[in-house]
Amino acid sequence: MEKRATRPARGDGKDEWSTDEWLRHLTALPGVAGHEHISHRAIEDAFGVFADRVERDRIGNVYGWIEGTGTAPRPRAMLAAHTDRIGFLISRIEKGGYLRVVAVGGFDPRTLPAKEVVIHAKPPVVAVFGTKPPHLQKRGEAEKVTPFEELYLDTGLPEAVVRRRVPVGTLVMLRQKPVGLLKSRLASPGMDDRAGVAVLVRTLQALRSRRPAWDVIAVGTVEEEDGQICLGARTSAERLRPEIGIAIDVSHGDMPGTREGDTVPLGGGPALCMGANIHPVVFEGLRGAARSAGVPFSVEVSPASSGTDAMDIQIASLGVATGVLGVPCRYMHTGVEVVEPRDVDRTASLLAHYLAGLEPDWRAVEVLK
Amino acid sequence: MKAKGRVATKRGGAAFRRPGGARFEERFLESFSNADGPSGWEAPVRELVVEAVRDHVDELSVDAMGNLVAHVSPARGGAKAARGKRGRGPHVMLCAHMDEVGFMVTAVEKDGRLRIRKVGGIDPRILLGQVVRVGTNGARGVVGVLPAHLLTNADMTKVTPIEDLFLDIGASSREEALQAISLGDLVAFDTTYEAWGTVRKGKAFDDRVGCAVLASLVQRRPPVPLTAVWAVQEEIGLRGAAAAARRVSPDLAIVLEGTASGETPGASPEEMQPRMGGGPTLTVQDRSLMADARLVELLERTAKRWKIPTQWKRPGVGGTDAGRIALSGAGVPAAVVSVACRYIHAPAAYLDIRDPQRVVDLVWHALGAIGKEWT
Repeated sequence: MEKRATRPARGDGKDEWSTDEWLRHLTALPGVAGHEHISHRAIEDAFGVFADRVERDRIGNVYGWIEGTGTAPRPRAMLAAHTDRIGFLISRIEKGGYLRVVAVGGFDPRTLPAKEVVIHAKPPVVAVFGTKPPHLQKRGEAEKVTPFEELYLDTGLPEAVVRRRVPVGTLVMLRQKPVGLLKSRLASPGMDDRAGVAVLVRTLQALRSRRPAWDVIAVGTVEEEDGQICLGARTSAERLRPEIGIAIDVSHGDMPGTREGDTVPLGGGPALCMGANIHPVVFEGLRGAARSAGVPFSVEVSPASSGTDAMDIQIASLGVATGVLGVPCRYMHTGVEVVEPRDVDRTASLLAHYLAGLEPDWRAVEVLK
Repeated sequence: MKAKGRVATKRGGAAFRRPGGARFEERFLESFSNADGPSGWEAPVRELVVEAVRDHVDELSVDAMGNLVAHVSPARGGAKAARGKRGRGPHVMLCAHMDEVGFMVTAVEKDGRLRIRKVGGIDPRILLGQVVRVGTNGARGVVGVLPAHLLTNADMTKVTPIEDLFLDIGASSREEALQAISLGDLVAFDTTYEAWGTVRKGKAFDDRVGCAVLASLVQRRPPVPLTAVWAVQEEIGLRGAAAAARRVSPDLAIVLEGTASGETPGASPEEMQPRMGGGPTLTVQDRSLMADARLVELLERTAKRWKIPTQWKRPGVGGTDAGRIALSGAGVPAAVVSVACRYIHAPAAYLDIRDPQRVVDLVWHALGAIGKEWT
């Protein structure tokens, strides 16, 4: 375990940042699963603005601690938001300097043509997913979706320059500056799950002045988007052995063409998930906290898998009582994930209210006899 | 909505002469590319062109359609032949179009979503998840798309037609939406001009690069009487130039374009033509035009003489204002000189910044040759 000294980051103005500013800052940080290290420092700094101490472990999970007021040993509540986001890696350089990529995370190939990307070489290189103009297309060509394997990146640079500057394996991210929409809504790639990271920052901020009895640890986890397990969630929960673990991720915001129950309203406050992946007592506690704090919320039903870090937190250690909160987000896994900053604030105030009200002697294991 | 009438200005002082011809002004390309002007709504681009050229031309006017027409007389001691609009040499019309492909808001739904129709040729496959500018008050929108999580693999093999797409500007109701935008607002891609190496990235290089080449050319007095036309409505049927050519009634015309590069991975060498960075692209024939053979020969010969690399556009592809100009009046010999751009009619096009300078050089020297030998 690598431990780091507390780095007081206060004084650079971040302690007064709005949620909009936090979202713009956090979504600008690159990093796909396995490449989170590129933004570690920034996540540590973000937690460090409000946490009592900040740590990072060997695989890259970042921890921000708020010490409880109860007597030691205190029970722990873990909050998890994943720090990886979906992106690509360069897989091949072709004749003419065109680049092929592999996806890290689930993209709809229809959302990629003509989008700009940043190739995180040193220095970074801008490229675009190349498309054929209508003038040169054969009849009927525009009716066929270009499969992912046929997509290519074009930097416009000569092949020799590309080969010198862009090694195979280089990280590639969609390149889209956050766009402000009406009602302060923000469209940006990476809201999944930097909106969750913003919730953690805001929760740490609230808990500084409203200390819970429990220790609360905000964890920026690695490798949620790739593979069968949520690696960072599993390992950090093993390390912390919390009584309660709550995953904060994004939930599908309301969009036309979806079925009832698949989405929650944007601007309607956090989605409280219920289902096998969520401990009923945690769900009830969160719902009760939302009601008593006057935070609007939606209930999202996930019968089996919540598709979040909570899947792995639940079965880590000796078993953890889990909860899942979702920040409503439209157009997930595209370059224009839309979030309403107010929903981030509401999720954080609900969490703070819930955590501050945890009974000092509550334990996940009930001793019956 | 179109500004009418004359915004003429007299050019004063001696012409600044550069030995090698005119200089391509990249700042024109940058500002023209960043401005929005889908067909029929070219005013923002036209204002920038007026700004760029008004101190350098003898007459400047906007016609009934919105075409911007500038006349420049030759410098003293230019071509001697006693004909043409102002007496010295054949009267040449140079033409570039100001409009770009885009969309128009055709409906605002109850839940605040906008429906759009395209203006000009756009591949529907490049739109999902795209960011656009709506109207003139700075509103932004995103083209909505259901997340992959809620789709089947079969869904992801279907192209969504433009009529089924919607724009999300963040509004939750029609009333909210209408506070920020209006029915009929024009929609343009939200792209910012950028440079790296010799690559330039921006939107609407078709045909803002032609507009910038033309604005650069008229910074100097030409060797022949010259009428420069920045035309409207090319992308919806070569409409503006049709009217402009009749009014200008030139002896010959050269259209300045941004054309599609054929470069894609795996294309044959023949399909790759023309290439970005390969020099001015000349047209023999396209779907609108048989280029005037004498004019093409003159351009080719001029390029050779001044050691400017040229390449050929693949015949039978696309159409340009030259087709309409050639048909006007009793007929006008016409040719096209283009900059080969990758990804035209898409949000982010590329060009090689050496190409527009070469087009400026070629056209400049061709004007000299026309003054000497065109009959």
